[in-house]
Formats: sequence, C-alpha cells, structure tokens
Amino acid sequence: MQESIKDMATSLDLKLPTKKTESYRYFDIESLLDKSYKTVQKQKQDIKDSKILKIVDGVVVEAPKNIVVSYKKERFVSSKHFDELYRFSHKINDEIIHIDIQNDTDLKILHRFEAKESFLTYRIQIDVKENTTAKIYETFIGCEAKGSFVLYGYDLIAGRYANVEIVKDETIVKDTYTPIHSNFIEAKESSNVKLFSFDYGDADGLVLVDSYIEKDANIDAKHLLYVMGKAKRGTVSRLHHTEKNSKSNQVAKSILQDSSRGIFDATIKIDATAPGSKAHQNSKAVLLNDGAYMASKPQLVINIDDVEASHGSTIGELDETQLFYLRSRGINEDEARKMLILAFANEIIDDMSENEVVNAVHNSFEKVYYGKGQLECIATCHFCEDVIL
Amino acid sequence: MNMVEIKDLYANIGDKKILKGLNLELQEGKVHVIMGPNGAGKSTLSKAIVGHYDIEIENGSIVYKGEDITELEPEERALKGIFLSFQNPVEVPGVSNAYFLRTAVNAKRKYEGKEELNAAEFLRKAKETANFLGMKPELLNRSLNEGFSGGEKKRNETLQMLLLEPDFIILDEIDSGLDIDALRAVSEGINKLKDGKRTFLVITHYSRILDYIKPDVVHVLKDGKIVKTAGSELVEVLEKEGYAALGES
Repeated sequence: MQESIKDMATSLDLKLPTKKTESYRYFDIESLLDKSYKTVQKQKQDIKDSKILKIVDGVVVEAPKNIVVSYKKERFVSSKHFDELYRFSHKINDEIIHIDIQNDTDLKILHRFEAKESFLTYRIQIDVKENTTAKIYETFIGCEAKGSFVLYGYDLIAGRYANVEIVKDETIVKDTYTPIHSNFIEAKESSNVKLFSFDYGDADGLVLVDSYIEKDANIDAKHLLYVMGKAKRGTVSRLHHTEKNSKSNQVAKSILQDSSRGIFDATIKIDATAPGSKAHQNSKAVLLNDGAYMASKPQLVINIDDVEASHGSTIGELDETQLFYLRSRGINEDEARKMLILAFANEIIDDMSENEVVNAVHNSFEKVYYGKGQLECIATCHFCEDVIL
Repeated sequence: MNMVEIKDLYANIGDKKILKGLNLELQEGKVHVIMGPNGAGKSTLSKAIVGHYDIEIENGSIVYKGEDITELEPEERALKGIFLSFQNPVEVPGVSNAYFLRTAVNAKRKYEGKEELNAAEFLRKAKETANFLGMKPELLNRSLNEGFSGGEKKRNETLQMLLLEPDFIILDEIDSGLDIDALRAVSEGINKLKDGKRTFLVITHYSRILDYIKPDVVHVLKDGKIVKTAGSELVEVLEKEGYAALGES
C-alpha cells in the first residue's frame, strides 16, 4: 500500500512544513513529503540479548540485558517544539520505544533500515534518572533502504544532576535513504548534557533539535558536518535557557566539498526567567572548492541583561599559510590538505570522552574522506559482533 | 663551487615590485649573511627561494645545485634539500607536532630512497634531538606550534632542520624574540649542521646572531638588489655606521 505523507497529515489534521517554513528554508522538504511511499508494518519481535541495542526498521530486535527497553503508548511530548514533523512523528507513531536508564550506562544503538521506497518512522524516549551517567552512541545503516524516507527522533530527559553524552554518527550515501531526525532534549536542574553529531556523506539529511535548559544545567552541542556531491545536510537547533544560571556552548564545524550545501541554523534563546545564564555559539565552515555552499545562521535571542553570550561564524577555504608551511617541509599538497582537514575535524571528534567512540567516529570520517568522489554505501557497525554487509 | 645562483631576479608581491634584478651567488659549505634595512626585500628573497604563493616571479632564475628550481612546487624544493626557518612559524591546531615531523621526515626519506622510520624509531630520534635543543619533550605531543612561546617556535624550527638534514638552510630572523639561552641553544643546533658542505643563508637585522654563527660572506640588500658583498668585517662597519655608510648605490 502506498500513501503520501501529505495524505497522512491531512487525516490526522496536522500541518506539515513547506518550503516557506523557517526551519526547512535551506532544505528541500517538499519533494520529500510530496512522494508516495510504502508503509512499513512494524512486527514486534522477541528481543535477543546483545551488547548493543539494535533497531531494524523501527523494531527492537536486540538489547543489552541491563537496559530496560519497552514499547509505550504513554510518552513525553513537548508541546513547544518548533518542528511540525516532531508533532507529526509523535501522532503517527502509536507507540514509542522507551529506554529507561536507572544506573550508570554505556549504550550503543544501531539503527538499521532495510525497507525500500518506504516511509519509516519511529521514536525513542530516553529517560536518564537523576544523578546518573549515560553515554549513548547512535549509528545508522541504511544501504538497502533505497528511496526511503526515515522520520526518526528521540526525546531525551536528563534528570537532575544527570550526566549524559549522546553521540550521533551517521554516514549517508546517495540513492539510499533520506533521514529527518526531530529530537527534543530536556536538561533538568544541574544536569549536564553533551551532544555530538557527526554527519557525513553525499546525501541529504536534516537534524532538528529543540531543547530546554533548566536551572544550573548545561548543554554542550558539537556538530561536525562533512558532505560532498549535491548533498544538502545539516542541523537546525534551538537551545532554550528557561531558568537561571543555565549554560550552553554550541560549536559547529562544516567541511563542504563539490556542490554540497551545509546547514547550520541555530538559535540560542535566553528567557527573562534565566538571569546569570551563559551561552556561546560558533560556526566554522571550510569550503573545499567553488560551488560548495554554507548556510550558517547562528542567532542569539536574549530577553534579559544579566547574561554572558557570544556568537560567531566564519566561512573560508583551507588556511593557505598553514598549507604552505606543511608543503615547505616536503609534504605534498594532497597530504598537507588531508592533514589540515583531519585536524579541523579532530578538534570535535577528540572532545568525546570514550576512546572507543572517538576511534569509531574517526574511522567513519576517514572512510568518507578516503572514499571521496566514489562513496560506496558504508555498512559498518563499529560495535556489532557480527559483520554487517 | 656555488650551491645557489640567483640571476636577475625580479619578484613582486601583488602590485608591489620588491626584488629588482637581484643577483646572488651562494657557495657550497659557506655561511652567507644578508643584512639590509626594513623593506629591502630580505624576506621576499627567502620566500622566492622556497616558492611561497605570495611571490610572483616576473623575471630571472634561481638555480640550485645546477637545476633551475624557479618553477618547482614548494615540496619539491624541500625534498631537494632547501629549508627555510620561518620568521613567524605558523600555528596549526589539531595537527600533532610529532605526526607532522614524522610525515615530513618520512617524505624526505622516501624521496631519497631510504626506508621510512616507524613511530618508535622516529620518536626516539625526535626526543634525543629535542633534548639537545633544550626543548620540552611534551611539545612533541602538542599541536604544531599552537600556543608555543616565541622561543619554543624557533627551537621547533631548529628541531625540524636537524631532523630533515637539509643541504641549503635559510634562517629568516632566527634570532627575533629569543632570549640569550634560547639563542645559544638554537645557534648550537645550527652549528651542529655546519659540515663544510651545507650552505647557510642567514637573514638578519642585527649582528647579535653572528656572535654565534660566524659568517664567511656578508651581502647587503637594499631596494631589491644586492648592493655590497664583502667578508665578515662588513658586519662591524654596518654596526658602527649603519646602512648609510654604503651611500646611495
């Protein structure tokens, strides 16, 4: 059975974004929503014990024993999320996958997409109990899901004094799937959330994140984008300071090759109820050739005087003086360029706390870097026991 | 025998004509010094020799060991044995100093048909050399020149020179920003490479560095041309009387 997304939205009486919607201004959302897709019937399965949480076409098939994973109809939904597709994805999914983190946890999640020409949607809710540390690494494989539209997202609730590091590592290759991730993060009092996104490849995709930061809580968001071909890819975000002494620091680095378009459309909003807050935001983009384009729009919306805030954005080429310095020592131009590109990326990759995750993300980056111009679908699960091809 | 012959060199930076028919011969195994007032073209000359992208060669040639290198890429010149110690070494965040040094050393070894050094072999050699220069070993693990003091940057330039063992060494204001201890350490590093075969071109404003590195030939560069060439006694004359002693040549 085939149905268009627009028909589904009409039947649910929901609005969909259009090309005029601010969050999708730099992304061609209408062509994605206009198409008709097969609908995927999710058949729940017995969950096998495994080292990782594996979700195939929205169904949990494996999970570690120490993680409480269940399907739930009742769930958290933010009423204020700026993205229409956030609400749509909640409405259309009767149930969400609930991950209840009660103890210090290191969780690896593999999302695998297999259905072709399909509309695949599901959501996760991650509750991290107060005073708990959670390190979550998400990776995505969708080589077989040709022509599919994946609408996925999580709602992450970081309890009081919780420490959460959540990493997204997604390489997409053209002619496979197109993802929209619509996420929400609530950082409760004195919690600390570190968000990393690594978006690589030559295909389109967009991440939309809305977040609320309570009293004394902190969100660090780091985004590394490395795209090529004709990809339109990036992040649209809002970090919303709602209570006093809340902090955020957002850094985006983008490397754009060929005629790709990078998107960093990010707002930090500080409410009048959030005195003493600190917010910093910076975007740096490197265009590797003519034709590459960066839509960089960092914005601060501040409704109170007693805050510390800064933002900046630079777009340029590789630094010629650095390139020359390396070459003047006998290093050839290709190698020198590679060293500078990896260095630009490494500043974000090396900021993560887990060595094995750092290595995995390095590995993903280098596979794309060395495969430039002839990317093949990268179906590598760094933490899977079985080989995935 | 000349290692380097520069003939009738005209070089521009943008629209500005800097070198205006410069002629210079540098003998194998000798220490040549170039002195001259600000804006004379000293740094432009060093950049022209190593193939800096800022420099447009309008006319003339640079011949090194009998080969015209005027059109060669910077890395080709480096692999052939030309080394410039920069006046202001650039900082490269995210590139580890050790990784950079090993890549450069192995590029040279590969070019010379030698076996590349593995990480352990390289690190042993780099640490020994850093130690000789009084350089903190942790600087090897830091990003290339990032946050280094002026003295540390110059020591790092000297470390590169000792590891790469070039044949023609250009020292552009190597003494600027160095305290007396750093100057002595850097000079010892340079003198270690003096073997009667290597050629040095020392570019300086002041004679201080020449107390440590004894020159054989002194050239004065003024308004884009070499206006005087003499022995080391010229340094003393310039110290006492300044460039005005040379008259309006």
